Amino acid sequence: MSDVLEVRGLTKQYSKVLAADKVSFTIGEGEIFALIGPNGAGKTTTIRMISTLLMPTAGDAIVAGHSVVKEPAKVRECITYLPDEAGAYKNMTGLRYLRFMAGLFVSDIDGINAAVERAKEMCGLGDRLEDKIGSYSRGMIRKLLLSRAVMTRPKLAILDEPTSGLDVLNAIEIRKMIKELAEKEKMSFLLSSHNMLEIEFVSDRVGIITGGHLMVTGSADELKERYGANNLEEVFERVVKEHEVH
Amino acid sequence: MKFINLLKKELSELINLQMILGLVVALGIFMVLGGIMDTTIDEAKEETTNVTIRLCDRDNTEYTKSLIESIKKDGNKVKIFETSGSDYAAILDENDIKDLIIIPEGFTAALEKSERPEIITVSRMKSAATLSNLNVGTSSGLSIIKDKIAADVASRNGMSAQDYSIIETPVQVRENTVVDDKSAEIAPGDIMSKIALQNSIMPLIVFVLIIMTSQMLMSAVANEKTDKTLETLLSAPVSRGAVIGAKMLAAAIIALINAGVYMFGFTFFVSGATDTVADAAKELVESSLSVDEAISKLGLTLGGLDYFLVGLQLFFTIMICLSVSLILGALVNDSKNTQNMIMPIMMLAMIPYMISVLADINGLPAVFRYIVYAIPFTHTFSAIPNLMFGNRTLFFAGLIYQMIVFAICMFFALRLFMSDKIFTISLNFGQKSKYKSRKRKAEKAAASKKEE
Repeated sequence: MSDVLEVRGLTKQYSKVLAADKVSFTIGEGEIFALIGPNGAGKTTTIRMISTLLMPTAGDAIVAGHSVVKEPAKVRECITYLPDEAGAYKNMTGLRYLRFMAGLFVSDIDGINAAVERAKEMCGLGDRLEDKIGSYSRGMIRKLLLSRAVMTRPKLAILDEPTSGLDVLNAIEIRKMIKELAEKEKMSFLLSSHNMLEIEFVSDRVGIITGGHLMVTGSADELKERYGANNLEEVFERVVKEHEVH
Repeated sequence: MKFINLLKKELSELINLQMILGLVVALGIFMVLGGIMDTTIDEAKEETTNVTIRLCDRDNTEYTKSLIESIKKDGNKVKIFETSGSDYAAILDENDIKDLIIIPEGFTAALEKSERPEIITVSRMKSAATLSNLNVGTSSGLSIIKDKIAADVASRNGMSAQDYSIIETPVQVRENTVVDDKSAEIAPGDIMSKIALQNSIMPLIVFVLIIMTSQMLMSAVANEKTDKTLETLLSAPVSRGAVIGAKMLAAAIIALINAGVYMFGFTFFVSGATDTVADAAKELVESSLSVDEAISKLGLTLGGLDYFLVGLQLFFTIMICLSVSLILGALVNDSKNTQNMIMPIMMLAMIPYMISVLADINGLPAVFRYIVYAIPFTHTFSAIPNLMFGNRTLFFAGLIYQMIVFAICMFFALRLFMSDKIFTISLNFGQKSKYKSRKRKAEKAAASKKEE
């Protein structure tokens, strides 16, 4: 399995705060990697650096062979990013939003139409896509944004809290969709979530980050075995406490 | 293609029902005001040209009767009213008139005793508006009566009609106005009344343009930031320059549409007034130059090059607004704060706007003048007067200053947008920083765990 993402010692120093410290991990083709950690641990900073939104203070991340430091424009062609609590343009209809976003990734009309059709199918919003986004519920917006994130078949989809705001049934549907896309279309995912159950179900490998340090990486089963824990929640608790003691 | 996509999105965000309704209402208000102004001035003009002198002769002597007859003979319209008492409001109401000249009892007797006789005038004041209180009948009637009595007294004292005429108008005034090196035979007041009204259009349009452009771009950036759509947009395969460029261009297009509509509406409003006043002035002073001819002779009209230069300055004004708005919009971390953020731009536009309406910026005391000159928008407000009155050096100095200010502001705006700061910078206006409060909470939690 070739690596779609290779993170090498990614570091971000704000004036007084070290938000990410030499973070390194890889994501293979069709792999789902989940980054978990407490609030302010450095997850979003790491994700934003990989998404080319923030410039690393040191280190680099290679996305599909392109450096986020040297070739950010090339990286953006290979990724999509869905921020946590992201909104959409309230005055646009769902369909208009999908067309607009598809137009930023694809140049030809046929490509745009294909991407929009794919998103329409995946989001399941039906006729509501003709309505303005301002009239959507939080869950509907999240489904729209998720379908937008995968409609152009990016090599790496970066999803920050993908199921936040969704009810249980919708969340299950989304998790299934992510797994299917990874298995069948070999799309790679970098996820961040606070929902350990979700992480355990959906991800192939997990990275636990706290205080800007990536403490451990491995599959959920490997980590449970290594820490003698019954579930991922216990692993998470032990790793975070371990870091606080040190 | 991607830029067009971005531009279409920005335009569709800005063009909404609220904006279109606002424009229609503004245009409607200007048109209604223009119509009212036109009708009011027409009425005033009608009153000026067809003067009716309303008189009440309470003295009722042979002298006053002959005086009234003589006024009528001169071609004046005179209407006689029978009134008594001093309840003037009731007198005006009963007779449904707005002014009256009363020749009181004892008028002739006083005149015969070589005393100064009294005349009473009554005028109704309807409002504070100048045109509503135009009582031409009273003033012209009084003037005619005064002339008749003066001529009568002069004649009784053996003065010839020619001598009296010289005393009445001892000099023929030929007023000339000089602008730069050109002169025209016209009173400066006549020129001022026309160009002041015309020149009031430009500052208003500039003011609307500055506020509207800034507000639109600032909200566009602030909303993207607070809704977190900016992160999605900037992680897409499109350059940050294109994102900024599309936002700036869309805001400029909408602002220019707004300015065009306002300019059209305001011109409609003003043209009624200036045309009617100018026509009336021309009718009254047939021998001298018309106001428009005099303005043209004095070089107070703008040529094609002048309009291009004014347009160029307006362009740089908009660009300064856009670049400053980009920075201020990026500082907003809550959409409610957008209103507060517009304040610096509003103040910088308001100061030169108010000064340009009330006084000549170039005529201010040196210290104040340079302070006002330091505000880049000042040079837009004074662009037309500077070009009209030949202050070209001042105009070009202002234009170059605006270009420099724009380059500096744009440099900082681009630097902000191209860096991480676009996601991290914010002004909180006294609110607690989310980051700091989160950090404080984390520190407290860590400390309590260590204690355990």
